[in-house]
Amino acid sequence: MFVVIVCVLLPRFQLTVAAGNRNELLQTPVALAPEPGGVQQVGEVSIAAEAFGIHPGMRLGEALARCAWLTLVPPDPAGVAESWERLLVRLESIGAAVEPERPGLVCFDACGLLRLHGTGTLASSDADRVAGVLAAARQALRMPTRFGVAPSRFAAVAAATKARVRRPLIVSGGRTQAAEFLKALPVALLRARPALAELPEALERLGIGTLGELAALTPAALADRFGTAGLIAHELANGGDGALRPRPASEFLRESLELPDAGSGIQLERGLGLLIDRLLARRERRGRTLRAVVLSAVLVEQGGTWREQVVFREALADPVRMRLALAPRLALMPAPAEELRLAVERFGPPTSDQRALLEDPAEARVARLREAIRQARAAAGPDAALRVLEVDPCSRFPERRAMLTPFEG
Amino acid sequence: MSGPRRLSVPRRVAVTAGDDGSPLLVDSRTVDAVRESWLVEDRWWTERPLRRRYWEVVTTCGRDEVVFHDLVSGRWWRQR
Repeated sequence: MFVVIVCVLLPRFQLTVAAGNRNELLQTPVALAPEPGGVQQVGEVSIAAEAFGIHPGMRLGEALARCAWLTLVPPDPAGVAESWERLLVRLESIGAAVEPERPGLVCFDACGLLRLHGTGTLASSDADRVAGVLAAARQALRMPTRFGVAPSRFAAVAAATKARVRRPLIVSGGRTQAAEFLKALPVALLRARPALAELPEALERLGIGTLGELAALTPAALADRFGTAGLIAHELANGGDGALRPRPASEFLRESLELPDAGSGIQLERGLGLLIDRLLARRERRGRTLRAVVLSAVLVEQGGTWREQVVFREALADPVRMRLALAPRLALMPAPAEELRLAVERFGPPTSDQRALLEDPAEARVARLREAIRQARAAAGPDAALRVLEVDPCSRFPERRAMLTPFEG
Repeated sequence: MSGPRRLSVPRRVAVTAGDDGSPLLVDSRTVDAVRESWLVEDRWWTERPLRRRYWEVVTTCGRDEVVFHDLVSGRWWRQR
């Protein structure tokens, strides 16, 4: 099957969003500060910081030791999520089924778009045909972007890292051509995959510096040394990769509330109650329940933003229960807020299960038990809830008296 | 779980028995006292009869163990 994967790369996206209007800051050694309460590692870094040998994920102490005048910018997870969502929606508006990997990096399959935006004829080269799709994407994004095009997702990401803003890098052909393109590139590119983040360092220590050298090894040797990660890396280095899993198209529904004074405690809870009521009253909800929401806040004194995703145990449209689920999360906020936001991340089915006026306690208990078993099995597997079934309780042999069977709630 | 699973399945145990057949050592633990002993015979009408001599013993470290001697195979098993 003909596959053309387009990778859209916005380098240092999180850092750029967190820096805001302070563009001159990005010309100096600057890095994203660790999130409050998180691991003490720096986030994305500027080019000037890279010159000092600082890279994302480096320990804060080591980064400051390498560059004493390194500026730390507070992270802005809410702002990043919002800007990134806006860009994804713009890409989806040209018909692209996108699979976001992380903020600043997204891939989509351009095959379905060639007839819509593509230029040239079937006889034209891949580069000619995909040029129209890239032009449409560039126009939709309205910001400097790097494009990489290749038959596999990994090769497309690698191409995007090598591309320039005005000159997309297009790898035509199939798996063989992708492997040929990847041959000279460093194994460090494997770090883009969270499952393979540790692999490049070990490979480099063994003297394997390029993806071509990695591809030349036998899969059995890599599996012996690195297990599944080795096999995945071998597949990627040979121009292969898994199929794209585009995200389902979603709607963006959000309510925000500016707090006149820095808000915390009970004041925030009142604000949250107001946001819930406003969100549930929106016409766009069309009677649907909410499955997952994102609670975020702009912190005072340019302290950045705070963001918390909450997935409800069951889809809700009841403001009281939503408040009960969301209010404890406010305590996790690292500083007082000057703006509180509540956005719908995923809708549930329309509200249909009406509760009885007088609830039967026995039935309610059975329902709660059934839900608890379902959640336990989802977390710990099918063996999480078992019951003892008496088979022959009077047997003189203990092993014949009882058995363990799955619990049917 | 692939299917229903039996509870209290006997597990192999290393037992050193005395001349009268009573356990002296259970998994290298010295037996302090024999609390009870009983004989169970079943399925004697089949080709796979079950004959077990059960012993409930207390070891010097305070553990209460139930072991049995399979009189057909001659092996020792622990059972709770």
